[in-house]
Amino acid sequence: MNGRPKIGVYICHCGINIAHTVDVDEVVKFASTLPDVIVARDYRYMCSDPGQALIVEDINNMGLNRVVVASCSPRMHEPTFRKTLITAGLNPYFLEMANIREQCSWVHEDKIAGTEKAKRLVESAVVKVRRLEPLEVKEVDVEPSALIIGAGIAGIQAALDIADAGFKVYLVEKTPSVGGHMAQLDKTFPTLDCSACILTPKMVDVANHPNIELLTYSQVEDISGYVGNFEVKVRKKSRFVDVDKCTGCGACAEVCRQAGRIPNEFDEGLGMRGAIYIPFPQAVPAKYTIDKENCLFLSRGKCGESPKCQEACEAGAINFELQDEIVEFKVGTIIVATGFDIFDARKKPEYAYGVYDNVVNALEFERLVSASGPTGGNVVIPQRGKKKKKKEDEEELGPVIPKNITFIQCVGSRDKSVGNEYCSRVCCMYTAKQAHLVKDKIPDAEITIFYMDVRAFGKGYEEFYDRVRREGIRYIRGNPSEIFKRGDKLVVKAEDTLTATPLEHETDMVVLSVGLEPRSDRREIIDILKLSSSPDLFYLEAHPKLRPVDTATDGIFLAGCCQGPKDIPDAVGQAKGAASAAMILLASGKVKVEAQTSVVDEATCRGCGFCVEVCPYSAIELVEINRAGWPVMVARVNEALCKGCGACSAACLSGSIQQRSFRDTQILPQIEVLGVK
Amino acid sequence: MVDNAKLKDVAKEVISREDVRLLIGYRPGTYGFRARPAFVENSDQVDELIFSPACVSNLSSYLTLEEKTPLPRGVEPDLRKVAVMVKGCDSRALVQQLVEKAYDREHILVLGIPCRGVVDMAKVENRFPGVISGEIAMEGDNLVFSFDGKEETVPKEELLAEKCKRCRYPTPLISDLLLDDEVERFADDDYSDITAMEGKSTEEKWAFWEEQFSRCIRCYSCRNVCPMCYCEDCVLDRLKPVWARRSVDISENTVYHISRAYHLAGRCIQCGECERVCPVDIPLMLLNRKFYRDVEELYDYEPGIKVEEKPLLSTFSVDDKEDFIL
Repeated sequence: MNGRPKIGVYICHCGINIAHTVDVDEVVKFASTLPDVIVARDYRYMCSDPGQALIVEDINNMGLNRVVVASCSPRMHEPTFRKTLITAGLNPYFLEMANIREQCSWVHEDKIAGTEKAKRLVESAVVKVRRLEPLEVKEVDVEPSALIIGAGIAGIQAALDIADAGFKVYLVEKTPSVGGHMAQLDKTFPTLDCSACILTPKMVDVANHPNIELLTYSQVEDISGYVGNFEVKVRKKSRFVDVDKCTGCGACAEVCRQAGRIPNEFDEGLGMRGAIYIPFPQAVPAKYTIDKENCLFLSRGKCGESPKCQEACEAGAINFELQDEIVEFKVGTIIVATGFDIFDARKKPEYAYGVYDNVVNALEFERLVSASGPTGGNVVIPQRGKKKKKKEDEEELGPVIPKNITFIQCVGSRDKSVGNEYCSRVCCMYTAKQAHLVKDKIPDAEITIFYMDVRAFGKGYEEFYDRVRREGIRYIRGNPSEIFKRGDKLVVKAEDTLTATPLEHETDMVVLSVGLEPRSDRREIIDILKLSSSPDLFYLEAHPKLRPVDTATDGIFLAGCCQGPKDIPDAVGQAKGAASAAMILLASGKVKVEAQTSVVDEATCRGCGFCVEVCPYSAIELVEINRAGWPVMVARVNEALCKGCGACSAACLSGSIQQRSFRDTQILPQIEVLGVK
Repeated sequence: MVDNAKLKDVAKEVISREDVRLLIGYRPGTYGFRARPAFVENSDQVDELIFSPACVSNLSSYLTLEEKTPLPRGVEPDLRKVAVMVKGCDSRALVQQLVEKAYDREHILVLGIPCRGVVDMAKVENRFPGVISGEIAMEGDNLVFSFDGKEETVPKEELLAEKCKRCRYPTPLISDLLLDDEVERFADDDYSDITAMEGKSTEEKWAFWEEQFSRCIRCYSCRNVCPMCYCEDCVLDRLKPVWARRSVDISENTVYHISRAYHLAGRCIQCGECERVCPVDIPLMLLNRKFYRDVEELYDYEPGIKVEEKPLLSTFSVDDKEDFIL
């Protein structure tokens, strides 16, 4: 672009959004007096087709070579106006936007002062636009495969969708089986279909799908690269069982010397397993795993004469020599579906969880009520954390069936004292469901639910809540303050806030409806992918409304509860959304990379590497160059990786790394206009 | 105190090594009690080397100051080691330079001097005005001044440089050869003067610094002597864009000093050279130590301690304090 800048300035009314506090006519008059401004116009909605047509016409008729649009934040409409410039045959980076809406009209009331400020903002855009340089948008190829981290229902659904569309999927799961928390649930609200019955077919599908490579008992160690070209390193932890040989017969688990001694994570510690185990009967893959911390042979080097499991295994699958394996592959896009942890009720000591056996959390209760659970679906008071009672005692007493069960909602949700201000969205409904299931199993049980509010917002939820209430379940509005023991009963101390009556409620068993929390190991993924978190510590989406499955990093998407508490339909819906977002990239096969990248002045760079350290995208490295005969280190930017965030130029002491379109020489004149006068 | 005979022996050995091209140390100055840098290129020159409480300057600056003049085609650069004598405080500059990858560790050879303090030469000249030539030695807690054929003993407390009274690291934190026994920490910085300054009102502080900066003649000595100011092309010298104008006035002087203080945040290693060389006595360490203290309190970080450490302002942790952000 040679010759003098010829600038067109376009000022938007945005209906009355801008015009209400800014005298647009006056700003137009002012803009036309600025140096090199050939034309200044206003329009009611500059982003509309006729608005954009104005710009195109002026570029064609007047030979404009720079455009300033004074309207809203560039976040929404910068791409719109860049396209307008392209339509008119101009380099799209000869555009500068002045934000006279969010940064002016919306935040001011005084029209005179607002107009003055709008003028300054327009002038600062004009002085910058003259200094802009044409930039080229490059494209890179997209590796036609996806990585999905976490194989709960969200990860499974996303994997199936992408695989069905014909792309390769690597599904990585940390635990020995896919399924996640949904596999632990008994029935699902509000339709009461069996969780395992609707989930297991999908679990089997991911294992058998020709396009899915399932990596269970595996962990993502490192991810580098950028959208379209991520390089992934996964550690396949050793199961000490050759999965190709293991038939899943279970003979090993029966003979394990540790059988029945180790709390089973899948049963929330209420059931027991051995050191060689399968988490639950429908686990996928149906392969056994040796837990090396608890295996006598692996932890102490000795297991009787010889490990019994090895003797029992007819397939010869058990191999104590097996090592972790590192698998490396390339993917074009990544979906994070790492799920959640349940709230640790010990953080609310007033509820005496962990003190009394008959105070359980909802997930434990889910296992108790499940037919596949440790009690075969009998709701009994669990005996845990204690030495087994003498056999005679047990026979004498038998399992204790609670006749009075109390649920407490919002444990660890909507509670500033534990740092969780949010609503976990599922507890109201699962509590209603669990209460209903108890009614089913122990028809004469008295059931009370303490609640703050009942949020039954989903399809069929209110109807279900209504049905449960009609079953004679008592809802008391009040947040209990304490649980203590009186005789062999538990006493829940609370206030019925509807009648303002303090009460002490005697019960046999308390179920704490614990909320959903960000995973305790959430930092692992943050460190690897440099994800951001929202204040609630769940992973942050790119936009709360319009980009709910995207992250700030291109090509990385979120699905399920890692982004915030969700029920199953929402998790599945979001997983399908994330899969579709990923497939847009995979199907188009090309991705545009940022043009406003950083660039190093190798003559002045001192090679300190500050920029290398601060770069969140690992886009900068130090390289050796020859400077007049001397070997010196300087920074170099990989433009495909650079996202134009500008962190490097802020860190550089010598001003040697500059971001295109945001160079010091381009920004300082802006500051001068805004500040000096 | 370092034995000067031993110092010369070590220096002779070092400069005779094949892989060492230059040794930077101290030798007696040309006036009064002063010492000045010595650049030793062969073993004949080692006899002039000394170390004494007069050896105030931080020689680590020379490692980055040395100009790499363009080499004719075909001429290989001389990449042999440069040996440098450093006190505890100076050694931290080497550490920080290495943290910032200013040069390779293998390109330097560090002769560490455990140090009990150096003098404030201005105080010495006040105490012994008009002395043409003299020497200083340290004996226990006293300084012994020999001049005009006589000796005078002064408690070191009276004439020690201020930075030495706050010194936390008397023994070099990096060295290849230690020239004396290690010296235990004998002082600390209580920041009392900083606290006093912080207690003043904004107006008082501004009045104070306005007076200080108004005297600045922009000689750039503070920048040139600073071991951490070694950009090939300083942003404050740039013409495109002009961050600070050349004019010597309160506004531009303030920009200059504040920019420098910010560029040293998390990097200044407290050698105090800027303040020492200032011809108009601007208390620059008051600024630098304010940043030093903030960095220490906010991020539990002291620059120039460990070579493996990452530079403070290029690292980020979600647990970083940010309550100072408005």
